[in-house]
Amino acid sequence: MLKRVLLCAFALFICVSPDVEAQSFEVPFEVFRLDNGLRIILSEDHSAPTYSICVVYDVGSRNERPGKTGFAHLFEHMMFQGSENVGKGEHFILIQNNGGSMNGTTSVDRTNYFETLPANQLDLGLFLEADRMRSLDISEATLENQRQTVKEERRRGYDNAPYGRTFLTLNETAYESFAYSHSTIGSMEDLDAATLFDVEDFFRQYYAPNNAVLALVGDFDTEEALARIEEYFGDIPSQPAPLELLISEPQQTAEKRVTLQDKFARLPRLDLAFKAPAGNTGDWYILSVLGDILGGGQSGRLYKRLVQEEQVALNVRARLGERRGPSLFSITATPRPGIELEALEAVIYEEIEKLKSELVEDWEMEKVRAQIERQNAQRLQSTRARANALAQNTVFYNDPGLINTFQERFDGVTKEEVRSSAEIYLKETNRTVVTTLPQARTGRPSGGGVQ
Amino acid sequence: MCLRGSVCLVLAIVVCPTATIAQDIAAPDTSSVVRKNLAPVSDEVLQVTLPRAVQTTLDNGLRVLVLEDDRSPIVTMQLTISGAGPLYESRDLAGVAAMTARMLREGTTNRSNSDILEQVARLGANLNSSSAFGSEAASVSASGLSRNMEEWFEVMRDILLNPTFPESEFERLRQEQRAGLRQQRTSSGFLANERFSAAVFGDHPAATRSATEASLDAMSTEIIAQWHRERYAPQNSILSIAGDVDASDIVSLLNDRLADWERSDFVAQLPPNPEAPAVGQIYLVDRPDSAQTTIYMGGLALDRRDPDYIPLTVMNAVLGGGPSARLFLNLREEKGYTYGAYSFFSALKYPGSWRASADVRTEVTDGGMTEFLYELGRMRDEPVAAAELEEVKRSIVARFALSLERPTSLLNYSTTREIYGFEPDYWETYPEQVMAVTPALVQSMAEKYLNPETIQIVVVGDASEIREVMEQYGPVDVYDTEGDLIEDE
Repeated sequence: MLKRVLLCAFALFICVSPDVEAQSFEVPFEVFRLDNGLRIILSEDHSAPTYSICVVYDVGSRNERPGKTGFAHLFEHMMFQGSENVGKGEHFILIQNNGGSMNGTTSVDRTNYFETLPANQLDLGLFLEADRMRSLDISEATLENQRQTVKEERRRGYDNAPYGRTFLTLNETAYESFAYSHSTIGSMEDLDAATLFDVEDFFRQYYAPNNAVLALVGDFDTEEALARIEEYFGDIPSQPAPLELLISEPQQTAEKRVTLQDKFARLPRLDLAFKAPAGNTGDWYILSVLGDILGGGQSGRLYKRLVQEEQVALNVRARLGERRGPSLFSITATPRPGIELEALEAVIYEEIEKLKSELVEDWEMEKVRAQIERQNAQRLQSTRARANALAQNTVFYNDPGLINTFQERFDGVTKEEVRSSAEIYLKETNRTVVTTLPQARTGRPSGGGVQ
Repeated sequence: MCLRGSVCLVLAIVVCPTATIAQDIAAPDTSSVVRKNLAPVSDEVLQVTLPRAVQTTLDNGLRVLVLEDDRSPIVTMQLTISGAGPLYESRDLAGVAAMTARMLREGTTNRSNSDILEQVARLGANLNSSSAFGSEAASVSASGLSRNMEEWFEVMRDILLNPTFPESEFERLRQEQRAGLRQQRTSSGFLANERFSAAVFGDHPAATRSATEASLDAMSTEIIAQWHRERYAPQNSILSIAGDVDASDIVSLLNDRLADWERSDFVAQLPPNPEAPAVGQIYLVDRPDSAQTTIYMGGLALDRRDPDYIPLTVMNAVLGGGPSARLFLNLREEKGYTYGAYSFFSALKYPGSWRASADVRTEVTDGGMTEFLYELGRMRDEPVAAAELEEVKRSIVARFALSLERPTSLLNYSTTREIYGFEPDYWETYPEQVMAVTPALVQSMAEKYLNPETIQIVVVGDASEIREVMEQYGPVDVYDTEGDLIEDE
């Protein structure tokens, strides 16, 4: 049975693009829920004969326990290893043969799966997602195969790459809570320890319709699509909801500092992280504007001063990450050869202090708004980006409409708010500093380590 | 689809059910691919329109392609300046094309580099200029909101026509690039690519993948200014525009604003084609402490106008074109040696290279080599099964059809047709040509291009772990991460 209900924070409505010339386009959508708890967001767009489907499960590496790191991501790989009616690897083949594209990704806060297909293959996409939500079919052999694949992914991205461990160390040092301090890729030991029982247990706990949101964007008829969704997903049983995860991070009281030896890096690097508010909060939008002004690309203050004017850095970047719990505001800079890291760090702090003592300029606020408007419009050109945003905003914030109101949140930020957020968040006691130094080579060195 | 002012053709693509294919692959007790053939696949005819860009030539010889698409309030422009790329560099000035393109944004007769960055950012636009190693062209690109397009286009125009190449900014970039020369040697991918390009292209300029200390020393603002003055010529360039614009409006704007970009008599003379390596060779780049071995193997391929292009596209898709191709299914899904194994080829105005590659953990370097060589041998020795080939061809055509929903890919197709001088209906007939490729033709492509006698193999990894393994396959030349030969075979 399909219930066409108004959910608490969802509105059952269709946004119609307003007839205002300067307004960016709006994404129309409707929200539904099946009896088994699966939330559904449908957004018709008949401008091309294609559609995208995205299923976001409310589980990420933050749900992992000690000894099980990397499991959410390993599990995501298992979702391509076969289900009751789909063989191992057949998912890839079916999508490729029909001209589509697909992937799955795991972050700290969620896991998503998506496909883009021709409009006449609506059944195929729904069938593939429903079959693996209902009935994962895996074996020791497929688990072992993907364990090896994921270990290669870790080697490629972290263990065999310059600065690979810097990112891992920054999170491990900045966060106290296990949920956010450990890496999504996981440790080799924990990957080795994962069992078939873990896979089944994880599937039962988190891969239930009531723990997922399905978004469909593109060339279909809403009524017809709903009927198909009910047909494919309606009989998948719901499960007891996983315990709600509260990520609490104690107030930091002193700077944390780590120096890392890197056997592949040739130049030192400075990585700073300040503990920041959760995504989609008022302070998050304010700090995000500040981040763009300070270090968003080559028009940012840090690039202008460090790279162009004083020429002490080869590159520098500041950005605010988005997490459901405490986020990180990070700054990364590579000094020019011959420049001391301490000197570079001091100039960055001077620029941060300026944000506390003087209001930013009008043109800087104007720039941030214009950049966000363009990036948003460009990003939402694809049905896939729209499906991912609709489903993820629902899982994170219970607000699919954020896809349309996102821009306004930035527009409301004032210069005074930017100044006070610098005072609140960009202070020494809220800071983690990781410096990465090239490990000196003498003969054939052995592995490095955290000092 | 709402695409104003374009010629729409209907391209019928039949997507057939695959229910009877390859029943013999199933082997459920191992980690190999299993086909259950139970998923619903539509066999309906998918109709796709192939809009054509509006095309015109300005008085100064600049060719302009415009694809109108009002689905979002964005305009994208890409200027391809043929004759201004690294392919025309002498080796002692390696990197001068990229430096020239990069320096365009460092100041004009009207704007400082900060003015350029600030104005573009305030308009919400994006401006770039670059020239990639191996390329025959330089490019200047911009995108932004349609409502202030004339303003950001003005900055794009300014950097193209009025750059001043200030000495101080040149020195800054030169210092940054010197540090970059050190940084890039940390990446196993760069090291593999550098050695592989040298092996395949020999003395040809396509072998160059980076500037050098000496070439940076030899560059000057005079040399850069001259490169720009001589080689940035409108009659050799194509400006491709897609998005929320009216074609006739934009053409009149361009005629007005680009009138002072003067036509010259400069003609770019391609260097003689590279010669295929006469014998196979193995190169090992010693990168101590590596956790993985990066394997590249391949050789010289073909140019974009070669009639083998489409059959080679099909052969490559069977071998390593994606996650359902043979290399990925074997090395990853069966063996678990790697995160991904693929094959590629490039085809430009001159013959590019083909290669198969993967990063495998050090302990399975031998296993990785064995499986790569097995899959290349299988392509040459056995005709591809009719059913497998049908699937691959259908996949290529279906992906082509789906790509047409994106205005930028449509525009890329038009630009390619223009650059290589293809017939007007090249893309309309592309699906038929793909579908006409036979198993025998695929096999002949493998025999011709995947030649084991001349294959160039590059591995980047820890020599103390993998050297003996590699010596089983033939004599090995060992290089260090600086790119210097340390031990001859």
